[in-house]
Amino acid sequence: MNPELQRNLWLEASPFRLALIAGLLLLVFAAGSVATTGLMNTPRAALGLYWFFAVLWGTRSAALSVVVEIRERTWDSQKLSSIGPWTMVWGKLFGATAANWFGALVCLPFILWPVWHDDGAGAALLYGVILLSLGVFAQAVALLSSLVLIHRQTGNWRLDMFLCQVAGIGAAFAYYSLWSSIRAFRESGTTTLAWWGHDFTLGSFHLVSLLLFLGWALIGCWRAMRSELRFANGPYVWLAYLAYVAVYAAGFYAVFGVEILGNPSAATHGLRATGARLIDENHIPPISVPLALAGLILMGSVYGMAFLEAKDPVRLRWLGDQIRTGRWYSAFLAAECWMLSYAATLIAGLALAILWAGTPAAALAVLAMLGFMTRDICIFLLGRMFGGPKGDFGALGILAALYLLLPTLLRHAHATFLLIPGPHTDSLLSVMAAWAQGLGFCYWVARVIRDRAPRS
Amino acid sequence: MIEIRDLVFDYPGHRALHGVNLSIAASAITALVGPNGAGKTTLLRLMAALETPYDGRVTIGGLDTREQPRAIHEQLGYLPDFFGLYDALTVRRCLFYAARSHGIGPGEAKGAAEAAASRVGIAERMEQPAGALSRGLRQRLAIAQAIVHRPKVLLLDEPAAGLDPQARRDLSRLLLELRDDGMTLVVSSHILAELEDYSDRMVIVDNGRIAGGESIALKGGNRLRVTLAQAKEGLADFLKAHGAEVLETGPDRAVVALAGEADARAALLAALIAAGYPVSEFAQDTQALEKVYFARVRGRP
Repeated sequence: MNPELQRNLWLEASPFRLALIAGLLLLVFAAGSVATTGLMNTPRAALGLYWFFAVLWGTRSAALSVVVEIRERTWDSQKLSSIGPWTMVWGKLFGATAANWFGALVCLPFILWPVWHDDGAGAALLYGVILLSLGVFAQAVALLSSLVLIHRQTGNWRLDMFLCQVAGIGAAFAYYSLWSSIRAFRESGTTTLAWWGHDFTLGSFHLVSLLLFLGWALIGCWRAMRSELRFANGPYVWLAYLAYVAVYAAGFYAVFGVEILGNPSAATHGLRATGARLIDENHIPPISVPLALAGLILMGSVYGMAFLEAKDPVRLRWLGDQIRTGRWYSAFLAAECWMLSYAATLIAGLALAILWAGTPAAALAVLAMLGFMTRDICIFLLGRMFGGPKGDFGALGILAALYLLLPTLLRHAHATFLLIPGPHTDSLLSVMAAWAQGLGFCYWVARVIRDRAPRS
Repeated sequence: MIEIRDLVFDYPGHRALHGVNLSIAASAITALVGPNGAGKTTLLRLMAALETPYDGRVTIGGLDTREQPRAIHEQLGYLPDFFGLYDALTVRRCLFYAARSHGIGPGEAKGAAEAAASRVGIAERMEQPAGALSRGLRQRLAIAQAIVHRPKVLLLDEPAAGLDPQARRDLSRLLLELRDDGMTLVVSSHILAELEDYSDRMVIVDNGRIAGGESIALKGGNRLRVTLAQAKEGLADFLKAHGAEVLETGPDRAVVALAGEADARAALLAALIAAGYPVSEFAQDTQALEKVYFARVRGRP
């Protein structure tokens, strides 16, 4: 047996604990069998308890599986073991949550039985797969978050665990909402979804999407664990993930009424019709729409990773040394995820600006957006350098002020173009302001890194 | 066994190691000493491939810590200064897990766990939870976990901190046994007295550098200590006349350097006795750690 799984089972799944969980659940379901309405209705109670065991408590257990090792000072000995990264991941993912899964699996038949009864075995099986993958997805996101957060060395394990739990629960809600939305679509008469010019059945598209994102979450855990166990990761897995999310998001261009590949069912009203009219009126090349969608997703990954990653000043200086001495490939191999996302966003943004050259205001807005993004990333870096791990929250506060408070003050002077991207009348000035700030902040970051370099 | 070349390690705003060069001999106990904050723990963590150097390299048995950290982990045992144990697990399960996690198969792990427990003297505590052990016994369990897979190199950071005198003596004995079995040990401490009993060589880390630039032999070599039961004139001249270089002298004692092997020492002893010197001690001299330490770390009494 996987030693990490076995150790976790010893600690988390004692016979007493399992018996207690089973006893309490059977009591709840017995009570539910005599009450037919409200929360005590057995299937509804079982679903609520499944969420409790697999998601609410499960994400906590998954996040703690690493956080506790650090808190109890056993992480170093784990890092020195011969356990491989994937073995360690699934040993922790399913071992630390063993009691949770026991409770969740006790609940599952009570949830699926009514579905089987009403809609047949196929529907029950599908729902079971969704619920199980939902639990694994939530826990994998919590574990992945904990593996990313430990590099930040906040020293506040409760806050770390809470953030990881929030990430896992958020992922579970997103996952479940996406699945639940199928019913709403069906009720509104929509049974297919256009993606890259082809119509797919809603149910199968969602299921495949959810399982693919679950796969990426597990790959993320594996990659983060590799890094912890001192394997060199390289940039390729993150680049593959970026390519995946960019292609995935870009495929939804039909939402804006664009027809590039194939011929999705035409729309005469709603978002698709409005989008088609706007694109037509502004002479925007249809091919640029998927690129814009991909660019937005890539930009989201820049901000997300810039917040989450350690941004270690020593590592930044080391990367600077590699570049200065011409060891570009070495720097590329050691680049942090936010750097790769930034480069990908910059390329996508420049390509978009070129495609939108016929609509100068739109092209300039994209260039301004890239400049402001550069400034914002530098704010995260400076936050880390001046405030340590807590500086990331300080940077968030500064960005909130830049994007929400200051524009309100500048609106009367018609000067919001100085701070935020958007459809401004002074588009060229906005680009200049954005890049002046972006480059100015870059210079500031470089100065701080240089000034703080230890003297030999 | 361990080769360190031009090793640089930085913390944000602070250089912890400044181009360290060092060779650590196989099958010996090397003491890593120095004041708090000198860089001992950082150096140990770099040897254990738990940190990545800013520059330079560390190789263990020819393997580079940056390129093959996992291969190094397989032949390494490491006890950090602040270690943790799985308090809710019994000693047996702690050691079984340690064995399995170091790649020992399920069939052999039980035997390896029992052997490691016997070695550190906790075999009779196998069914006790780790959380119920005393400080000294926890230390032994932690060492047993570090040696359960019979590593070639054992790195110990402040292993005797908090131990009572008996436990320290037991620890010294254990470390010597491990060395005699062919293991290479590096022991870090800022308490010199505890290292004196078992260290073969000493490395002084001071402000991120190796004081004197190399490790210092504490045992072995050609230093001899001669002590007389009563003082007698002419001891130093007699020793010089018989080919020994006198390093320290007094009316009833001397420390000399003598070229040659056992025959040369036997001949000198025979000559002393024949000349009527009442020799009460004639032994290989061990340099006092503290004396050497303060001689190297000037200005840090």
